[in-house]
Amino acid sequence: MAQQVVSVQGVSKSYAGVQALRAVSFSLAAGEIRAICGENGAGKSTFVKLLVGITHPDCGVISIDGRVRTVAGPQHAQSLGLGFVAQELSLAPRLSIHDNIWLGSAEVPLIHRRARFRARAQAAMEMLGIGDWDLDRPVSTLSIGQRQLVEIARLLARQARVLILDEPTATLTDAEIERILGVLKLIKARGHSIIYVTHRLGEVFDLCDAVTVFRNGEHVATKPVREITRDGLIELMLGRPFGEMYPAAPAWREGSHAVVVDRLNVPGMVHDFSLVAPSGKILCLAGLIGSGTNMVTRALAGLAHRATGRVTINGREMRLGSAAHCVARNVLFLSEDRAAEGIFHRMTVTDNLVATGLGAHARLGILSWPRLRRFAARLARQTGIDRQRLRAYAGNLSGGNQQKLLFGRTLERAEPGILLMNEPTRGIDVGARADIYRLMRELCRRGYTLIMTSSELEEVVGIADIVVTMYRGRNVARYEREAIEMTSIMADITHPPRATQAVA
Amino acid sequence: MSEPMSPWRKGPAVPAMPKRWRQLVVGGRRRLVVIRAAFTIGLAVLALTTPGFLSRPSLSALLTTVSFVGCVAVGMTLITLSGNIMSFSLGALVGVTAMIFTAASNWGGLAFGFAAALAAGALMNAAQGLVIGWAGANPIVTSIAALALIYGAVEAIGAGATVYPQADVSYGIFKRGIVGIPFEFITFMFVTVIGQLILFFTIFGRNLYMVGGSLRAAEAVGVRAWRTISGAYLWAGVFSALAGIMLAIRYSSADMDFGLGYEYQAIAAVLVGGTVVKGGEGSVVQTFAGTLIIAIIEVVLLLKGLRQEWQYLLAGLLVLAVVVLQTRGTGD
Repeated sequence: MAQQVVSVQGVSKSYAGVQALRAVSFSLAAGEIRAICGENGAGKSTFVKLLVGITHPDCGVISIDGRVRTVAGPQHAQSLGLGFVAQELSLAPRLSIHDNIWLGSAEVPLIHRRARFRARAQAAMEMLGIGDWDLDRPVSTLSIGQRQLVEIARLLARQARVLILDEPTATLTDAEIERILGVLKLIKARGHSIIYVTHRLGEVFDLCDAVTVFRNGEHVATKPVREITRDGLIELMLGRPFGEMYPAAPAWREGSHAVVVDRLNVPGMVHDFSLVAPSGKILCLAGLIGSGTNMVTRALAGLAHRATGRVTINGREMRLGSAAHCVARNVLFLSEDRAAEGIFHRMTVTDNLVATGLGAHARLGILSWPRLRRFAARLARQTGIDRQRLRAYAGNLSGGNQQKLLFGRTLERAEPGILLMNEPTRGIDVGARADIYRLMRELCRRGYTLIMTSSELEEVVGIADIVVTMYRGRNVARYEREAIEMTSIMADITHPPRATQAVA
Repeated sequence: MSEPMSPWRKGPAVPAMPKRWRQLVVGGRRRLVVIRAAFTIGLAVLALTTPGFLSRPSLSALLTTVSFVGCVAVGMTLITLSGNIMSFSLGALVGVTAMIFTAASNWGGLAFGFAAALAAGALMNAAQGLVIGWAGANPIVTSIAALALIYGAVEAIGAGATVYPQADVSYGIFKRGIVGIPFEFITFMFVTVIGQLILFFTIFGRNLYMVGGSLRAAEAVGVRAWRTISGAYLWAGVFSALAGIMLAIRYSSADMDFGLGYEYQAIAAVLVGGTVVKGGEGSVVQTFAGTLIIAIIEVVLLLKGLRQEWQYLLAGLLVLAVVVLQTRGTGD
């Protein structure tokens, strides 16, 4: 085996009495791509933060290139050859690619000698196969996937030999993911090591040499991917055997046409989009980022102010552009950005759960707290949130529990609602994901109409009863039940044959 | 292996603060509560051991003066909770409503005076709330513009001078108080209770926390944020108008200097009380406590013979300390 570039022995870390990592040991060889998997809260993020000095271990030893080091902070980690790309991209959108690559680098002297640094930036870009991009282009003109590449180029330009990527593909579409994975293989071939934190198990097997599994802050296993199956990996993460991920769809019945969209337009994003969604089914909008899928759901939720078009909900016409009006019509929205558009972090779980049900538990605008508390307790039970958590701050819940909470808001309506979900399982671990899918099926059973978007094709095929594909803001095709299969959807959303006709 | 030179390479760049201290400063909310409790007890001991503090005239004066700012601070709490930090125009609103109260009472009697002043306060502030909530204007800039507009309007209609009540208008009944508690303080307590009830038992109150906590999330669950924000400003206008009325009654006169600096003292009380400057977290009862704390400090300083400058300095330091503690306590 090659030389160990990173080696960690017996590292522990606790936050305010909660043990986030317990006596973890880990080692990484040069030229190895190592996946780190585990449920939310398993300690993956804490572990990588320790490596790059964002937090510091309570005890234990970190060695880099065989020398014991105390990683003081991200800049120190950089000088040791460790580069980190956080889940949230850290690029300054108005600055150019070149400026972003050197932003915050301790190497750049007070008087910036651009030419020398430019050459190094260019070399890094070339290593990624994107040497033809204009270094002076502002980052704001790049797609998320392209920005991710710039983040990686930034690390290479700073001579990182170990790249630590925390869910780099969480917000990317499949085509973009392919590109990132290709680039990472290229980097590996040049002898760099990569630590790859991910929820997407497919990538573990496509890309990585070995996988390390964390559970409850402990290192559970490290295995070469050759010696492990997908189900075996899930079992390691959960600590128990794993049933079927996607609950079986109930027998097909023609539902009433709950949602009828006729020629929806959002300037620059959605063009003459039409849709019919029956009740009791999961309809999935499939498309690349920028194809307008997320904007369709936003428009239907009243959150796109310039949207036009005719939308009827259970036969009644609905006004667009007012979220309050849509909620009053029982059209409810779950954003892909739970942090900014879903959860009230500094309010309790109870407060969060009852957010859409205040009116039903008030008389003349005066609230009845006993009724609201019972209401919240019922919602928590139905969504599988621990009762003890009701008084905790919602911001302290894991991503999976936050999403359950948001589902809870949509329950116990006067009548079955229309549920619009953007990327409902983004950033959610395997165990909670299965819970979310079960919840979605339960809502179908209660007569809800579910419309969701997803950039994960596997999920689309797994959960949807109906798939509507989109390309550049327009309809491409509609598939039902058995007709749903991955290749035709992939073809539709990347370069559909019919799209050109649709434009004409 | 080439290792680039870096000034950071040698030692740990973490400030070498003792761990206990670091936790006290950066640690979570619970530590903030501890700090607050220790501070309150310390202050109480200091106040009770200051000679003259417990005398009746001193306490009565304290409770009276605290109430004017207190009512404004309760209103300011709603604005802060809504996520709009503070309004610079509440002091001017106090002055102008005091003048409206006096003038209207002269013209149509006390009841009319009350109605006119409260309505004027509500309307002027609700208009600001609409500009901020509906048009999305920056709250600070809007309130500064409102401040200029109020002063300008008062000057333009030639009412820049002090207004006095006519001989036939008597404020007598309001100057007595109940069982030795000045009526201003009773009003302040009443306003606090009303404010707290609004926050916890009305849909508007819960919406206020949601809008302040996350505007986008609130809109996504169907809250009409512009209404909520306008509502917060409207109530702030009503409460500030009450302060104006009380001042007009207490001093049997009214001019634009009455509310001078109140907005600053009010925001200090809000922050010292523990309402989060970003909005969405805090309460009117906390502001009540904050108002008292600041007032007690000022009285103690005064009794110890320190001059006004020291009071300002201390108030400034206190606000700074609170804001720093807040950002470190809630930030990650």
